[in-house]
Amino acid sequence: MAFDWSGVLSGHPLHWLLQGLAVTIAVTLVAGAIATVVAVLLTALRLSPLAPVRLATRAVVSLIRNTPLLIQLMVWYFVGFARLPQAIKDVMTRDHPWATLPGQVSLAGPEFVAAAWGVGLFIGVFLGEELQAGLNAVAPGQREAAASQGFGAWDTLVAILLPQALRNAYEPVVGQYLNLMKLTAIACSIGLAELTYQARQVESFNSHAFEAFAAATLLYLGLGLVLERALRAVRRA
Amino acid sequence: MGLDFTVILKNWDYLLWGRTPQGEVGGLLLTVLMALAAGFLSLALGIAMALACWMGPRPLRRALIAMADLVRSVPLVLVIFWIYFLVPALFRTQIPGALSVIVALAWFSSGAVLHTTLAGLEALPRGHREAGLASGLSEGQVFTSILLPQALRNLVPSYVALFASMIKDTSLAFILNVPELTMTASQVNTREQIYPAEIFLTTGAVYFVLCAGLAWAAQGLAHRRPLGAAR
Repeated sequence: MAFDWSGVLSGHPLHWLLQGLAVTIAVTLVAGAIATVVAVLLTALRLSPLAPVRLATRAVVSLIRNTPLLIQLMVWYFVGFARLPQAIKDVMTRDHPWATLPGQVSLAGPEFVAAAWGVGLFIGVFLGEELQAGLNAVAPGQREAAASQGFGAWDTLVAILLPQALRNAYEPVVGQYLNLMKLTAIACSIGLAELTYQARQVESFNSHAFEAFAAATLLYLGLGLVLERALRAVRRA
Repeated sequence: MGLDFTVILKNWDYLLWGRTPQGEVGGLLLTVLMALAAGFLSLALGIAMALACWMGPRPLRRALIAMADLVRSVPLVLVIFWIYFLVPALFRTQIPGALSVIVALAWFSSGAVLHTTLAGLEALPRGHREAGLASGLSEGQVFTSILLPQALRNLVPSYVALFASMIKDTSLAFILNVPELTMTASQVNTREQIYPAEIFLTTGAVYFVLCAGLAWAAQGLAHRRPLGAAR
């Protein structure tokens, strides 16, 4: 088998792959932000003094962890979107030139929103578990000292405990963000035109399956390296 | 929001085993079969690689770990496509989608098995190997009859957890139109049109029972005292 790159690195196929890369980067960034917020919220809810809140948090975490991401994406896409109020659906499906990525992918469209929210929530739960593990390794005196200095519960968590938890769990946390980037590929099955979707499109367009998947693979590997570098740079800063 | 689960009662047999009576295994049955096949393959492959890493020269160890890590830094969906398109090109025969998914899952997960198994081996006290060698066993005998059995028993909970995530990953067979649980659910959804909530929530519940059950079992197993631990 010989590689023939001309079928992939020119014309439509090249264009599609680059569009797919842009969508993968965009959905990774938005889902990453959602995952971060979800993880911090879950960690806070777990520390709630109210037992029912802690129980409900554990139930949600267990539901998300123990079902496939693909099923969750289908629920958000087919069920969640359909049950939104008509006014919101209208806004989402309208054209927004300012929020449209190349290749007609709307940042407000149901595919992008379901993918970003679904992947963000999924990884947010796993990220929350890593933070929790990091938190468990923080000396109890830290919280007591913060309380004695007059810090409230939220301030203690965000300013004192989480930074230390993050330092303890840095490697697994980086791993989860990399995982998030890779999992966005599953969004091709709800029709989001990201990198994997576009590689398939090239394959059905001119049957250059290998070249298309090789190009996508290299782009994912490169994206992973950049993301890892960036996250490590954040740590040093 | 009103839910009407009669659609599930009408299609439960299709969701459970697809067109198995017509000779094409499908539904939850196919999901479980694929997970079991990929689970056994990845376990065998992962442990074999761990053996090679443990006994072989350093460069081999580094190469095996690098290869396992490389596969895991690519989306699993892409690995599945790779197998699906690569095998026919190399061997000039088409392979069924389900088999592509099994091979891709096994390959992808064998890296996790390798890392887990190595960690389990490294967690055993050094004295065990030394005692074995001192009793006249060879390095290979020490590995297969002293270290591996202890490590494997300690690792059962980790393997069970990996298997639970394998069950979830079989849902990706959807992208090759393999008629496993997620695909059959999606077919029922397309046929019935207006019950996506009932269909996908029920499907999710089936996965949940399987995976949460396994996670629960793994936790129970993990509470046993590990072999080789200091008393």
